[in-house]
Amino acid sequence: MAATGVAPNNIGFDFSNYARNEFLGARLGAQAKTTSTGTTIVGLKYGGGDSGDEEGICLGADTRATGGPIVADKNCEKIHYLTPHIRCCGAGTAADTEYVTNLISSNLELHSLSQGRQVRVVTAMTMLKQYLYRYQGHVGAYLVVGGVDSTGPQLFTVHAHGSTDKLPYVTMGSGSLAAMAVFESAYKEHLTKAEAIALVARAIRAGVFNDLGSGSNVDVSVITKAGTETLRNYETPNERGIKSRDYKFRRGTTAWLKENVRDLVVSEEVKVTMGAGKAQQGTTDRPVAVGAGPGGEEGMDLDA
Amino acid sequence: MSAPGGGGAYSFSLTTFSPSGKLVQIEHALAAVAGGTTSLGIKATNGIVLATEKKDTSALLDTTMIEKVATICPNIGFVYSGMGPDFRVLVAKARKIAQAYWKVYGEYPPTKVLVQEVAAVMQKATQSGGVRPYGISLLIAGWDAHRGQSLYQVDPSGSYWAWKASAIGKNMVNGKTFLEKRYNDDLSLEDAIHTALLTLKEGFEGQMTAETIEIGIVTVPTAEQQIAKSGERPPPTFRKLTEQEVRDYLSL
Amino acid sequence: MSIQEYNGGSVVAMVGKDCVAIACDLRLGNQATGIAMNFEKVFPVNDTLYYGLPGLATDVYTLREQLRFRVNMYRMKEEREITPETFTHLLSSTLYEKRFGPYFLEPVIAGIAPPTAANPNPQPYVSTLDSIGCITTPKDFAVAGTATDKLYGAAEGLWEPDLEPEDLFETISQTLLNAVDRDALSGWGAIVHVITKDKVITRTLRSRMD
Repeated sequence: MAATGVAPNNIGFDFSNYARNEFLGARLGAQAKTTSTGTTIVGLKYGGGDSGDEEGICLGADTRATGGPIVADKNCEKIHYLTPHIRCCGAGTAADTEYVTNLISSNLELHSLSQGRQVRVVTAMTMLKQYLYRYQGHVGAYLVVGGVDSTGPQLFTVHAHGSTDKLPYVTMGSGSLAAMAVFESAYKEHLTKAEAIALVARAIRAGVFNDLGSGSNVDVSVITKAGTETLRNYETPNERGIKSRDYKFRRGTTAWLKENVRDLVVSEEVKVTMGAGKAQQGTTDRPVAVGAGPGGEEGMDLDA
Repeated sequence: MSAPGGGGAYSFSLTTFSPSGKLVQIEHALAAVAGGTTSLGIKATNGIVLATEKKDTSALLDTTMIEKVATICPNIGFVYSGMGPDFRVLVAKARKIAQAYWKVYGEYPPTKVLVQEVAAVMQKATQSGGVRPYGISLLIAGWDAHRGQSLYQVDPSGSYWAWKASAIGKNMVNGKTFLEKRYNDDLSLEDAIHTALLTLKEGFEGQMTAETIEIGIVTVPTAEQQIAKSGERPPPTFRKLTEQEVRDYLSL
Repeated sequence: MSIQEYNGGSVVAMVGKDCVAIACDLRLGNQATGIAMNFEKVFPVNDTLYYGLPGLATDVYTLREQLRFRVNMYRMKEEREITPETFTHLLSSTLYEKRFGPYFLEPVIAGIAPPTAANPNPQPYVSTLDSIGCITTPKDFAVAGTATDKLYGAAEGLWEPDLEPEDLFETISQTLLNAVDRDALSGWGAIVHVITKDKVITRTLRSRMD
């Protein structure tokens, strides 16, 4: 049964339908359809050295979500918030990336409140990998975690089974090969911020145009010590064309059999009355019989 | 056999009523609150102020470690009078409650809902075996889209009320009288902060400095601030004033 | 044949100008066999918030009752009506709790939040979830059920911005009727709800019954 409190009492998953679904799955074949983020996600370190720019992390993602061969969402957000100075790109099962990043974001907020300081990126990465390892890859989240903390800019990838990498430039998702081809040919240390954003956008575009699982727009996040700059829909290379005609139907096209109009505007007629219990105009008073009304055996008399 | 203390036989088990209908352990908890340092809260037209005194019992004490005003979630803050350790336990529980709510509804709890949850935790300690009531009263201030800014007080019994202004702790009687005189319905947050400092000053032992008081404020977000921006969180509506900000208010 | 297609059925929701519409077919089947032609898949949460549950019929009942419980608890605790956004999150966390034993449903939500002091002019809202609670909030329309593919095609061609309630009714009705005509598992009648701030128009459509 559902919890009666504001939140469920149990943390974790409810397997009560598992056996039933296994049985039905075996009888009918196929499992539940889930939205997956086919995805190109990338991240790189930039700045420092002789670039003249402050060190930072630049993350990028496409915005297509798929359900099988169907484009389920043409402009979804794959760069998730973890803390004010840590972001996380997600690929894999869309619900899993959403929930795992929300859970860790929530735990990081508790951690930061109790410790009275900003949390580190390694902490976020460690919490993510320990959670994902526990579920042995069944929570299908493939992540790029990036941010800036007291130790400087940090960039990691986390796989659904719990393994992690720490690299200066990373790509993940079905478009990772296309994106990595761009990084391998053009990445160098100490890029300026503008160069970093341009390279990240180019890597995402490589995914958008060469990988079927990726598409639509380019989202970018730039994180420095000062904070996070969110460049939502930084590039929109796949805008829908404007319809040259409209397809409005003439009113009355659709035949219907039954109609019910529920008026939500409450209207009432107000009668001005004076004195509670006195006889009111427009109403008829009836004395309550003994033993019948709220007065019980004593009955209730009306005021004269 | 009678247990030590004023309540005789009924002071020992906290779940036993005395013949006069009292649960004396709860009254003892209230006595612990009344012995605590003064805290107060004032609701203004555009926010709320929570203020408290940090008592330094010794010049050797490092007061930077003490935290009496606590952020629970971005829209709600607590201050207390009474026993510090009990406060920290409740703060940890309240933060978890707020996060659990966020995970289900995608937004932080309205002040009243959090107050009810925390009050339920405190009430449980008055009716369960093997525990004692929490030795604190709380002032809870928060902002939410449904009710706007609201200020609540929760007592060890688990009872709670909404206030325009309230004081708890050692100086609560004087403090409340002072607030009753000073309060009016169109007080601004700035005025409320100054009124809070003046109230705290009444019966303050020693020098009132940025190191010996703590202040938290609730601000009402603008319509623009309430619109969710992608990839960002809305700015917090509860925050603690920095020592520098407190110093500035004190010097005015 | 997958479990989600066992009983058949489809739902579509669309955004209009200060209004939203949500519609469903009325068929309940046992694979290819038609069982009932009065199986509504769209339910009200409150005056201006409706949701549809296409998918496995047994799960429609289970989830509907669980949501009724949770929304009633919310209404009593919070002393207010739930907004479409909050309801979407509530439904999402309810579904994700069963991540490893999901309900075979793909909910669609349509509504307008009640106006409040903080939000005096709430906008029409449509969202959809997959069976484990991944939220999508389109600006135009949401579709789900066995006619998903056809509904996408029809809606993508017919929907346009800022339709008045009566025009939105025609657009969503034609989208649904023409899509389910090409889906063997959906059809057998249809119901459309058009929600505005001050009224809800519910119409039962005349449709092919084969």
